[in-house]
Amino acid sequence: MIEMRPQDIHACIVRIEGTNNEDEMYRAFKNVGATPHLVHLNELKTLDPYQCIMIPGGFSAGDYVRAGAIFASRIRSRLFDELLDFVDHGYPVGGICNGFQVLVELGLLPGDGEPGEVTACLAENDSARFECRHSLLLRTPSNPCAFTSRLPEGERLMVPSAHAEGKLLLAGGIRAYKRIEERGQVLFKYVNYANETEAPYPWNPNGSPHNIAGICNEKGNVFGMMPHPERAFDIENENGYAGRTLFESLIRYIGETF
Amino acid sequence: MVNNMGDVTRLSLNVSDDELARISEETGTGLSVNELKEIRDYFEKEGRDPTDIELQALGQAWSEHCCYKSSKYYLKKYLFHLDAPQNIRVIKEDAGLVEFDDDHAYAVALESHNHPSAIEPYGGAATGIGGILRDVVCMGAQPVALVDPIFFAPLTTDYDELPRGVKHPKFIFSGVVSGIRDYGNRVGIPTVAGMTTFHPGYLGNCLVNVGCIGIVKKDDIIYSRVGGVGDLFVLAGGGTGRDGIHGVTFASKELADDSETSSRSAVQVGDPIMKEPLIHACLEANAKKLLTGLKDLGGGGLSCVVGEMAEAAGFGAHIDLEKVHLKEGGMLPWEIWVSESQERMMMSVTKDNLDDVLAIFDKWDVPAVVIGEVTPEERVHVFWKGEEIYDMEISFVTTGPMYQRPTEPPVRDQDGEARFETPANLEEVLIDILSSCNIASKDWVIRQYDFEVRANTTSPSLVGTANSETHADAAVVRPVEGSSRGLAITSDVNPHLVARDPYWGAASAVDETVRNLAAVGARVHSFADCLNFGNPEKPEKMWEFSMAVQGLAFVAEKVGATFVSGNVSLYNEAPAGACPPTPTIMGIGIIEDAALTATPLFKSAGDTLYLIGETKDELGASAYYRIMGADGGTVPRVDPDLLARASEALVSLIEDRTVVACHDVSEGGIAIALSEMCLGSTMGASIELHDELGPDTSLFSESNTRWICEVEPANEDAFEKALAESNVPFTKIGSTGWDRLTISHKGRQLVSLSTSKLMDAWQRPLWETMG
Repeated sequence: MIEMRPQDIHACIVRIEGTNNEDEMYRAFKNVGATPHLVHLNELKTLDPYQCIMIPGGFSAGDYVRAGAIFASRIRSRLFDELLDFVDHGYPVGGICNGFQVLVELGLLPGDGEPGEVTACLAENDSARFECRHSLLLRTPSNPCAFTSRLPEGERLMVPSAHAEGKLLLAGGIRAYKRIEERGQVLFKYVNYANETEAPYPWNPNGSPHNIAGICNEKGNVFGMMPHPERAFDIENENGYAGRTLFESLIRYIGETF
Repeated sequence: MVNNMGDVTRLSLNVSDDELARISEETGTGLSVNELKEIRDYFEKEGRDPTDIELQALGQAWSEHCCYKSSKYYLKKYLFHLDAPQNIRVIKEDAGLVEFDDDHAYAVALESHNHPSAIEPYGGAATGIGGILRDVVCMGAQPVALVDPIFFAPLTTDYDELPRGVKHPKFIFSGVVSGIRDYGNRVGIPTVAGMTTFHPGYLGNCLVNVGCIGIVKKDDIIYSRVGGVGDLFVLAGGGTGRDGIHGVTFASKELADDSETSSRSAVQVGDPIMKEPLIHACLEANAKKLLTGLKDLGGGGLSCVVGEMAEAAGFGAHIDLEKVHLKEGGMLPWEIWVSESQERMMMSVTKDNLDDVLAIFDKWDVPAVVIGEVTPEERVHVFWKGEEIYDMEISFVTTGPMYQRPTEPPVRDQDGEARFETPANLEEVLIDILSSCNIASKDWVIRQYDFEVRANTTSPSLVGTANSETHADAAVVRPVEGSSRGLAITSDVNPHLVARDPYWGAASAVDETVRNLAAVGARVHSFADCLNFGNPEKPEKMWEFSMAVQGLAFVAEKVGATFVSGNVSLYNEAPAGACPPTPTIMGIGIIEDAALTATPLFKSAGDTLYLIGETKDELGASAYYRIMGADGGTVPRVDPDLLARASEALVSLIEDRTVVACHDVSEGGIAIALSEMCLGSTMGASIELHDELGPDTSLFSESNTRWICEVEPANEDAFEKALAESNVPFTKIGSTGWDRLTISHKGRQLVSLSTSKLMDAWQRPLWETMG
């Protein structure tokens, strides 16, 4: 089987008013050789041309109702069936920061309910403040995920966090957390320099239970995380290579799968 | 006397002086009696009385805020003639344009939003961000960085001491930071630098300055002038409302104890989620070459933007005011004309391109409407439902008065001796200064701002080990994809120094700006100034202004960079008094390779530490004297030639990595600079000072043009040779190592503190006060 060439991989970065991290997301895809497209939701009529959908960070529609809620409901009213099909076919759908919040509001993450059923939320940080700080993330053992396949388990990354609502709350409480851990859906946990996965604030910037920073669905093709790998990209960035590895994983996954 | 035309009223100015004063008061235009007489003469020639909308427009255009009538004389005399080869177009537009590289320019703007923030801190600060972004966008530039210098009374101010109508500084501070956070983060432009300064003179009179830097391809630069006759005026963005009416006239008078109620409507209401797509749509339309001119609606609203865009190209305008989309019904024509509602931009567009422009705004869900057309004669005609309600020569409106107001120095001994006993324990004094509100960590503020959005911030204002970072001297952003070239950004002024000596205090602000840029490895490239002063009608305040402007020019003209943009904010006076004179400087430097940015934290044990520059007995208005309650002393002087030589030598030494850590010496002197270098890692230093000064002067003097540098022992010769060749004084003062800072003076140990103790003293104060 011949792999898709990176430049033939078309990633759709969906924007509306207030999604303001799309430029760095665009650059991230370009830097790993893929062909990204910045597409306003108003102009997104079909998902057919794309092998990947990414929802960037920001404050979509101001986040005035609840983080990600307005963007999610606009997607529901326009493209939802097509998006569910896209996911069913195994194409990757990712969200960073506000994009993660949107995927949760769409019911795609953790994705343990009926299609479209919302079973989690990203609640206000325990500090009740916007927190811009560098987070240490531990790659935890998980199912194979499109976004992390090239990052070995146990590896630690430094990635910037910048959000006011990043505490992952799951419907179903303790059992739900246990379930996503058992099903291999936890991708990243906030840690300190000693790699402790119960490290408190400010290592865990939002109070997320079990220090969860990023998750995927059970199949591993829908993924979301609060910290920003697209901001931790090239060598001159003080964060080193961390971000590149994740986007390279994604492109490799698409190349090998489709 | 009053001639009613429905929604418009005619006013006769052929009345007594008392009546004129009453008209000014009742219309809220803030025009003086003499100014109204000049207007009367104009309309006598026109053979009719002015309408309310005409008088209101003149009130906006002739306000201190819009026409700089008190400051223009001094700015022209001392600052505006300075030039530098890298300047592309400066002073004349909403933002200054300076060359970045062969293909790109950067745009710089700096403004104040002081009065609105004193009344309504959250909305005032938020809309300050909104305004400064538009100033940069209207040059066709993509904003890449925001800068927020903010000034308050001490947070510990006793509630019982608050004058009537004055809000507590804690409330103001918290509101201002929240406003900046919620607007800046939502529009997705990183807030990378700034300063938070406390001084009792800001009681009731906070200063909120805001700066923005943008990047633009030279081919995409657009100016605030229409293309030609027949071009259409397209107004885009949010609706026009009753918020922000008389903002500029409100900003051109002192605050009163009833400003809260009387001037609340002068504060605009911000909507960042209208601004964010508005920026995209404007830049997209501009990049597609669909616009002939672009300008933001700021102070004075439509009344300023239409005339200025037309006049800049030598044309006039016909406006149909009822076409403006509104936030609310029932607004009078003059209210629409002068409203300063946020999130609005004016474009001039040829008829051929109109549909393409409207389609872009439609995609972004941003309203855009045609409200008029460019006409050949240099007059503006405004129509309201078919009836002409405004017809004036543009130059009459925009020229405005200029005053050379009297100045008078205050009676004060500038350099008197301070008399007090040197404390026995200088270590305790060091801790007190390190934990004082002006020097302690500002991470409570900084972390509420997204300083890394856009992923161009290669070195933020907090650097070092995660969660125990120290302050950087300047932030660095790398604005052009694929280029390693960076912009270093800092903002500086020490109002304590300026209050004591406006000339040397202002000169010191420029020195500090240049040395902060040099400390990260950047060559100063441009400045912007935001000159915040008291009531110019008071000779003492005008004197402060005049002296400060001369101090700025004295240093700037020697360092190869000029003031490319700026703003003057006068009448910063509240019932409790005037603000200390505050010439805020924003400095932009170029760093050839952003990856080589130097940071202050010590890098490895056993390295040699040097002091560049000389410590002198200059403790006037220093942090040390303030802690000791001592008056007197000399405010630090500046030798601009030495500053130019020393900063160039230092930048070269950072570029070739001879200097591996660097920090400028400023407030709190060498003792504080060294303490700050111990933060961000856990490495200490051992220092021996041998100067002929007293031990306290040696530790805490705030002499200008000094840095502390870490150099590997193998590179000592290279370091010393380079500085000697540049004729720059330097002293070897010690070495890095251990987790303790020890300082001795002439063999006597003055300080021995663990780095964790330093971190604790520096890190906690603001968190403990603000929670």
